[in-house]
Amino acid sequence: MMIGTNRTVRGVAVTNPVGEPSLGGEDERALRRRIVERAVAMLATDVEPKTVWEGRT
Amino acid sequence: MKVVHYVNQFFAGLGGEDAAGTEPVRLEGAVGPGKGLGLEVAVTLACGDDYFGEHEEGALARLLRWLDEEQPDVLICGPSFGSGRYGYACGSFAREAARRGVPAVCGMHPESPGVLAAEGAAYVVPTDVKVTGMRDALPRMAALARRLASGETLGPPDQEGYLPRGVRRNEIAERTGAQRAVDLLLAKLAGDVRTEVTATFDDVPPPPPVADMSNATVALVTESGLVPRGNPDRLESNRAHAWMSYPLEGLDGFDVADWETVHGGYDTSVANADPDRLVPLDAVRRLVAEGSIGSLHETLYTTTGNSTPVATAAKFGQEIAQRLREAGIQAVILTGT
Repeated sequence: MMIGTNRTVRGVAVTNPVGEPSLGGEDERALRRRIVERAVAMLATDVEPKTVWEGRT
Repeated sequence: MKVVHYVNQFFAGLGGEDAAGTEPVRLEGAVGPGKGLGLEVAVTLACGDDYFGEHEEGALARLLRWLDEEQPDVLICGPSFGSGRYGYACGSFAREAARRGVPAVCGMHPESPGVLAAEGAAYVVPTDVKVTGMRDALPRMAALARRLASGETLGPPDQEGYLPRGVRRNEIAERTGAQRAVDLLLAKLAGDVRTEVTATFDDVPPPPPVADMSNATVALVTESGLVPRGNPDRLESNRAHAWMSYPLEGLDGFDVADWETVHGGYDTSVANADPDRLVPLDAVRRLVAEGSIGSLHETLYTTTGNSTPVATAAKFGQEIAQRLREAGIQAVILTGT
């Protein structure tokens, strides 16, 4: 992992870390919510240094 | 070789904190730790740590006058270990001596203010923070001093055991960069991982998890360059000089009419069509409403993370973190591009 942050949720893309324009609308908002839920879960989890979780799955 | 040694009032045996106001003195021969250098010290100069700090110009003038009278081959200062005032005096005196043609060696902890005070003019040998590092520090300082006194040019810091001075020296490589890159790749394939340039990052242990997110206050921070439309505070598209904060009260999401990104490092068209794609304000509000997150801090912290020098970024991070701590935030969601 390149930058040494301890809790990272992998976002969608550089241009839209928490968005997916090809989805749009409710589907995109649902994806964004899922990524944020992963972040919330990770904040409440004991992790090893430099841990990356997937955001979309 | 002729050596002059500089110490503070304590190591000169003149007293402790009670003698910190001692004016500069000149003593014959080696005193205190100077005796452990393994070199013949012609003269020891000493000054109280407080006196130096409070009368820097006058103290330096006197010390430099004595130094000029002695015309030594090298000046050794300290070791001052973790000491702030003593380290500052050592670094300052060493700097001025070096700029007047007397090579100078200090010994101190890398985080001592004396390192910056030396401004790369003097050589600083890294030591332990505590005085117990004396036996380790003295021979290393003496070795460097001997070589400098003989007029030797030293190699790079990591090879010679001193702290980087901020000096770049050009060298002609025998093989081209392309050849050296292939060498490194072949070595890596064989399991030998080497690099010519090292990127270093802080190793920060992960903080313990938040016990109960449903009761926690979360803050939103971003380096995506998100700002109110019109960029009222003129956040830069790259090399940001500052971070900014904007109120989130009453906002359930980022409306395109009111927000935009000014980041110059990526294509912003997708984000500017829907700024929640950069900072998930709408999603966080919903999770707060549902109770998964206790509350949202009503201020957004934002900057442009594009060609930002690491030192600047670190400063931004420390400043924002300080604000968040003062505000009692438990957790941060930071989005990056």
